[in-house]
Amino acid sequence: MNIIYLIRAVAFNSFFESVRNRFFTLFAVFAFTAVYASLLAGVMAVDQEARVLADFGLALIELTALAYALFSASSALLKEAETKTIYLVFSRPVPRWAYLAGKLAGALLTAALMLIVMGGIHLSLLAFRDFGLPDCYAWALAGTFLKLAVIISFAFFVSLFSTSAVSTLVISSVMWTLGHFAAETRFLAEQAPGLKGAAFKILLWLIPNLQIFNARDSAGAACALGPAVFFSAAAWVAASYLAALWMLSRKEF
Amino acid sequence: MRGRGLHLLAAAALTWGAGGFAARNFRSPFPPPSEMRVPAAGATGDMLALALGARRLFSDVWFIRLMQYYGTVEVHDDKEPQARGAAEPAGHEGHHHEHGEFGTGNYPEFFSRARHVLEVDHSFVAAGLYGAASLAFNMQRAGEAEELLRYGLRYSPREWKYLSVLAAIGYSKADNPAAVAQAIAPLLKDPDCPVMLKQQAAFLNKKQGNYALAAAIYADILATSHDEAYVNNARKQLELLSRHEIPPK
Repeated sequence: MNIIYLIRAVAFNSFFESVRNRFFTLFAVFAFTAVYASLLAGVMAVDQEARVLADFGLALIELTALAYALFSASSALLKEAETKTIYLVFSRPVPRWAYLAGKLAGALLTAALMLIVMGGIHLSLLAFRDFGLPDCYAWALAGTFLKLAVIISFAFFVSLFSTSAVSTLVISSVMWTLGHFAAETRFLAEQAPGLKGAAFKILLWLIPNLQIFNARDSAGAACALGPAVFFSAAAWVAASYLAALWMLSRKEF
Repeated sequence: MRGRGLHLLAAAALTWGAGGFAARNFRSPFPPPSEMRVPAAGATGDMLALALGARRLFSDVWFIRLMQYYGTVEVHDDKEPQARGAAEPAGHEGHHHEHGEFGTGNYPEFFSRARHVLEVDHSFVAAGLYGAASLAFNMQRAGEAEELLRYGLRYSPREWKYLSVLAAIGYSKADNPAAVAQAIAPLLKDPDCPVMLKQQAAFLNKKQGNYALAAAIYADILATSHDEAYVNNARKQLELLSRHEIPPK
């Protein structure tokens, strides 16, 4: 019970710190502007305005949430180490695993809040234009959250061995890109002969396949996320958490 | 501490592998990258579409570019511009624009651009129908229209709307306007139905003397389309039909 209280305390502290951060406000303003600007693209699409508005909005929501989540995840632990706050935390009976779990939960809560707020703004704009709820909207946001969860936890792990927040951002962004290329990598693995094909197959095990969460890009019944998708997300988040814990356990605080 | 650390690392590797194992059966529904025939200056956009997992968004962008391309005045060798618009389908009773017939023109890149929209996102049925209908009924390029629809059907084999338009093109080639109108009819109430297909149906019905049906389709265009040119034409046709005046052939 005490441990749960500790994790919750760290998570909420991390969450409120993020929300109070001026960058959060900046991102919120940017998100609103970007989603609003997508109205213009919608108008250009004439009879496909509803589809274009929905697609632009969902993509912008994802990219904005990704930018803030990565920025926040890559600097969270580094900042605490630089300001020596982490020493204060570990001088109390707070296990490292609980601290890390709390930090991760706080970052995920922030990402969820961003998605909910921006989703609300987006849906309001769609309603303002007399368009209904786009198909698969909830699945699209759920898929985006799972993608963010995987990449945020990965960024936490990277931030523990990289030298700066910028390098964490870059490495995590590369992983994000590679994750979306997983389907194409599989195609190449199936086409390429011998060693090249084997190398691609190994690569497929090392990269999280972010396309499986991409309900935003799927149509009709295919947009529903199955249990295997949730399991994969949970496994990749847990793996990054365990790896980050391993890194944290090796550090002297 | 070291032993515990290694356990953590092993657990992390195993868990990561479990994630990959659960995702191993996922197959992308999209056409493979080898099928992407990128039109000029489009490679960066396509790369971004794949890298950001935003195929739908980028196919929307390609569709907007296709409409802009088709909506741009075409300048021919004789320097006489031709414009696309929304009067009756070209080659029929033909509303003649000052610079040529509406909807006609060469637009040599139209097919490749329309196909590219489907290469990026094959589920964009409205774009496939728009491309095929424009090629077949406005530009009289039935062969390319059929090729586009067959490409769409390869990745959406159960798409009845593609089959309907394919049938309509077949009847059109056989010079059977009644059958064309019949083939298009089930599509008319579908939100994916491109406006020029509605207009084609209205025109064919009017030609056959089904004025009530033609008026209903024009009223639907008036109520649902945002394309000003088509809306203006529908308004004009409704006015003529209400006065029982049929535009001269």
